[in-house]
Amino acid sequence: MSNWQILWQARDQFWSGFLSTMTIFGCAISAAFVIGCVLLYLLEGSRPRLAVPLRVFIDGMRMLPFLILAYLLYYGLPSFGIRLDAWWSGVGALAVYHGCYIAEIFRGSRLTFPPGQIEAAQAHGFTRSKMFLRLILPQIVMQTRPLLGNQLIYALKDTAFLVIITVQELTAAANSLSGTYFIPTEAFIVVIGFYWAVSIVMEVIVKQCGRFGSRRGFDNV
Amino acid sequence: MNASAWHMLLEGAWTTLWISGVSIAMGVTAGLILALIRLARVPVIDQLLVLYISLARATPLVTLALFIFLSAPTFGLQLDRNVAGILALTLNTTAFNAEIWRSAFRNFSREQREAAMATGMTPWITFRRIMLPQMVITSLPGLINEMSFLIKGSPAIAVIGIVDLTRVTNRISAVTYEPLPPILVACVLYMAIIGGLVWAQRVAERRANRLAV
Amino acid sequence: MSDLHATAGRQATPEPPAAGNSHVTTAAVSIRNLSKSFDDVEVLRDVNLEVKQGDVVTILGSSGSGKSTLLRCINWLEQPERGTIHIAGERIGMNADGRPMSVKALARVRARTGMVFQSFNLWPHLNVLHNVTEAPIHVLGQPRQEAEARARELLDKVGMSHKQDAYPNTLSGGQKQRVAIARALAMQPEVMLFDEPTSALDPELVGEVLGVIKALSAEGYTMVIVTHEMAFSRAVSDQVVFLEKGLIIEQADPETFFTRPRTERVQRFLERHQ
Ligand SMILES: Nc1ncnc2c1ncn2[C@@H]1O[C@H](COP(=O)(O)OP(=O)(O)OP(=O)(O)O)[C@@H](O)[C@H]1O
Ligand SMILES: [Mg+2]
Repeated sequence: MSNWQILWQARDQFWSGFLSTMTIFGCAISAAFVIGCVLLYLLEGSRPRLAVPLRVFIDGMRMLPFLILAYLLYYGLPSFGIRLDAWWSGVGALAVYHGCYIAEIFRGSRLTFPPGQIEAAQAHGFTRSKMFLRLILPQIVMQTRPLLGNQLIYALKDTAFLVIITVQELTAAANSLSGTYFIPTEAFIVVIGFYWAVSIVMEVIVKQCGRFGSRRGFDNV
Repeated sequence: MNASAWHMLLEGAWTTLWISGVSIAMGVTAGLILALIRLARVPVIDQLLVLYISLARATPLVTLALFIFLSAPTFGLQLDRNVAGILALTLNTTAFNAEIWRSAFRNFSREQREAAMATGMTPWITFRRIMLPQMVITSLPGLINEMSFLIKGSPAIAVIGIVDLTRVTNRISAVTYEPLPPILVACVLYMAIIGGLVWAQRVAERRANRLAV
Repeated sequence: MSDLHATAGRQATPEPPAAGNSHVTTAAVSIRNLSKSFDDVEVLRDVNLEVKQGDVVTILGSSGSGKSTLLRCINWLEQPERGTIHIAGERIGMNADGRPMSVKALARVRARTGMVFQSFNLWPHLNVLHNVTEAPIHVLGQPRQEAEARARELLDKVGMSHKQDAYPNTLSGGQKQRVAIARALAMQPEVMLFDEPTSALDPELVGEVLGVIKALSAEGYTMVIVTHEMAFSRAVSDQVVFLEKGLIIEQADPETFFTRPRTERVQRFLERHQ
């Protein structure tokens, strides 16, 4: 039996690893997006005294490796009596970590947001939160989509770190298969192919969103 | 945390630093060479490099490190852990650096190159004396940014058993049963390293802006 | 056309400082039957021009007439389709067998020309002194000390020796252009090529650069200058060449050119630029 045939028989393990990675990625990145939006809103200046600690928090996160944050949640939190299993630690760490990166991307774009639009909205009597949700956020998201797309790929790659805190995902599947049958080369080629394919699909989607965005005139506001 | 814990942490930090340092040095150089090869647009080689860059950018470091470390023996190669770790980090960072160098090359002012040719410099002298020094200055902020990313990705080498600054916290807490302190100290050390790089990046940006006449 | 140059308008013609090893009777630049197109558009059409050693030739013409292209063909920054160019008797760009020169050989011939660009094109990573010494050291292989001593002399000549340690981005346009002139002179070229050296300058800075070029002409440098400065052209030229749609339609000594132009086209051009 050739190595590839062995792999084909073990396809269920790959598939469940792949689904696990995609579930983690999907949950984490959705939460990260929400965290990014909330952080941006809090930075908007409703509470000026909140802005400084938030900035410190965001910049601090961006100076850490992702894995050390996962360690903090997985190994560190029990010291406070909070016990998360590996899966939740992983998803939580991914969400917070990439939420901070997304917040920073948003903040950079917010700095160049045309103030005239905000004045116009205020003149029309928009409340702060309405203005944020309906005016500022959609434009900033559309404007930063290439950077967000990059961040998606980083987040996808960071899911592989979770094998180190024993989460069963795609890389873990390759690792255990290569251990069982001693066919590491083939197992990892397949897994790298998975990551590659997902990255390419995401890139295409981001590009398509770009087309849609420019049709809706988001690019020349 | 006792003295031996501190000692272990610093040793972990040193491992992270030297393995990253070697990978950065090799990755920056290899990136430049790849960028130059790509500029030559040799048919098949060019497509292969595009494929490599695309793959390297999509492959998680953990996966790459495991791949290299586990599959090398099946080709009859017994790789030392450190070598496998350095290889993984280098293969990854080279792809990003190649793109940084390539864009510096493509954005280089045609007029300045013509001024060099007009004084009788050969293309090679023009590259070495006029283009490369300026490409270093303009690429440096991007290269340093990529160095930060490499350090942030470096805990991936823990997966093949290298005791780096992240992994060493496990070792320490296995003895002390107090995982939080070493992890927090490791966080501070990472922040110091990456904070230093962020600062260097700012300085490099200022220098690069000064180059713009 | 090669016999069409006049020496009127210039008093002294000393030996050119460029240490050419060619015979005195060889022209510094000799252009024969030069044609050049960009994507089917003929920009130069059968141009012939001879520049004697020590002569100053100014090229006039309206925008898009091919002046820059002609100048850039002389040092092979543009490759013409037809025709030959000799720099002090040596053919540039092509070997005798009609095949392109090796990059090394081409660089060697180019080193015998010096070019000054409209946009200065100083190298921003090098200070003023090193902008001037870079090519002598790395192309001619001059020892650093010798190159620097010579560079200081040249910077003095263009009035920039007080700025030798400054970086280009701290200089005014006029200062940059004077450094660029020193940089070109440092190679001791057979001929200096100027492409609208003052067009990018504020009006009050034009004079200092034209002053330097005038001084060079008095010293006997061979120069080909594309310019829109009529008074300057008249004062400094041995020959004036008028380009129109890639053709030389008039070529004369400055007296004749500016007072008794033959063609109606040049008359109109001069009226507009008086
Ligand atoms: N690299 C190029 N590619 C295509 N066309 C070109 C190129 N360079 C010049 N041309 C065209 O060739 C013609 C002559 O250009 P050239 O720059 O020689 O004119 P010029 O006389 O120097 O004009 P100006 O006074 O504006 O500098 C113009 O029509 C120009 O558009
Ligand atoms: Mg021109």
